Amino acid sequence: MTSELLPISLAIGAGLFGIGIYGVLSQTNLVMIMMGIELMLGGALVNLVAFWRLLHPDNYAGQVFVLLVMTLMALDMAVGFGIATARFRAKGSVETEEAAELKG
Amino acid sequence: MQQVVAVVVFGLAAVVLGAGIFRTSSMVRSALSLLGSMAALGALFLALEAEFLGVLQLMMMATEMAIMAIFMVMYMMDPGGLGKMEMAHQKRVAIAFGVIAGLTGVALAVLPAWAPIVAVAPGPTLQVHDLGIELLTRSMLIFETAGLAILVAMVAATAVAIVRRRP
Amino acid sequence: MTSWWLVLAVLLGVYAIAVLEEWTMTGRIAPSAPLRSGLALLGRESLVPRQPDRVLFELAPLVLLIAAVLSLAVLPLAPGLLFADLATGALFVNAALAYVMVAVVMAGWAPNAPFALVAGWRFLGQLVAYSMLIVMPITAVGMRAQSLATSAVVDSQAPLWNVVAQPLGFGLFSLAALAVAFLPPFDLPIAPSELAGGVFGEYTGARLVIVRLGRLVLVLSLAMAVTVFYLGGWLGPMLPHCAWTSIKVLAVAATMLSTGRYLPRVTIDLMLAWAWKLGIPLALVNILWVGITLLLAKSG
Repeated sequence: MTSELLPISLAIGAGLFGIGIYGVLSQTNLVMIMMGIELMLGGALVNLVAFWRLLHPDNYAGQVFVLLVMTLMALDMAVGFGIATARFRAKGSVETEEAAELKG
Repeated sequence: MQQVVAVVVFGLAAVVLGAGIFRTSSMVRSALSLLGSMAALGALFLALEAEFLGVLQLMMMATEMAIMAIFMVMYMMDPGGLGKMEMAHQKRVAIAFGVIAGLTGVALAVLPAWAPIVAVAPGPTLQVHDLGIELLTRSMLIFETAGLAILVAMVAATAVAIVRRRP
Repeated sequence: MTSWWLVLAVLLGVYAIAVLEEWTMTGRIAPSAPLRSGLALLGRESLVPRQPDRVLFELAPLVLLIAAVLSLAVLPLAPGLLFADLATGALFVNAALAYVMVAVVMAGWAPNAPFALVAGWRFLGQLVAYSMLIVMPITAVGMRAQSLATSAVVDSQAPLWNVVAQPLGFGLFSLAALAVAFLPPFDLPIAPSELAGGVFGEYTGARLVIVRLGRLVLVLSLAMAVTVFYLGGWLGPMLPHCAWTSIKVLAVAATMLSTGRYLPRVTIDLMLAWAWKLGIPLALVNILWVGITLLLAKSG
């Protein structure tokens, strides 16, 4: 239990967050964008658990926050795939490049 | 010392597998790479002595990522990845933003003077017990809101994806 | 020292279940049949399909085996005799069993074969059906034990076994356990007559040995889970603890392996409909029932 554990864990969370942002901005397919969002939320989860364990292990509000974020990860996937299904039925693809009808 | 090594190993595994999502052109490998990254995060939580959260993360992510795999096979043009299509756009902008966000996060992690860390955390049995008490007394409103949100999302996703029958 | 005894116990249990499976299929008890067929398989040619997804093809049997072994690690043979005494043991069993599904989906995708693919995705539908029915009875069992540790669950059954106190949960958990191990009548992923061997039909030689071993360990682990959660684990009057656990596990495994012979295969639409429209309300009723009885027992 060294005091370097906190910066190490936060750096891991930051790394995951950066890769998630790369994924969200560079991918054209809705499903791949959702994967990037999952990575970003995963990075946030690492930060939350590190803060809970290393700074406030007696206050379980940190763990409740983690549970809520995990719930939201599942929910955003569920609604996102519902939208993807509807879009795929209407247009035959879920590419964002082809979804520019509202542009301009 | 063992704990630091475990955290570093699992954290690196999570980051490497997370990067592997966008480097492979096979869709199922992408989804399984994300599963590996999330499972490494679950192991990381176990190494950080948050036992309930780690087990929960491992359990939920296995199911979610397998469902993501089937949706990728349904909706992507080249699920096997043998066609070697270029799937990304505005790559340099994306890399720039990713690097900026990552470096800012690392700087915010390393530079500040954090408060001294607490060396001993409650044991796993006490954690599970106290988390349950916390969820059902002080954070009851949050718990109920999450439950309601799950119900709303289930209804919404089904309503959006259901096939309208034309009479 | 105890871990070597545990490994020996697991190997013996796996061998016993292999002999049991042979007995339910042919009606004869052939004690050396698993060893002979295992050695014969190792000697056979190992064929790899054309253009498989190589990484996933090799990984799938290993993930199946590792998931089954991990779910076995938290289930106790006797007080204190288990690999890892986690405080969230009951939940960890479910977490490890989720990776069985990952292994089957990998094995369905990897061989680049149509029957395997269909079987793999059908198992994903089967998971959507059984996953709630595995977790909700565990919740009710944890409610009675006031803890998620498996030893505490067994200790809480000292007055009355859970099979009598929570019969609805027992029924649902046993059916869901059959679905997890893809035993008949829930054997959509392997479907011998319908999908030509299904998910594991393209595996031969040494890889098939690992697949079969993984499946046997999975059956053992699920039989132990049913025993620990509902049949009182090691509790019993005269014999030593390990003997009671072994008897109960073998009885449950024999029942699990032989039910499928008398029932037709359940198709995916029926399974989903029954699980979500009938199974989940019954699981919620089970939780309500357990809650009411616990509150009455505490106040009475």
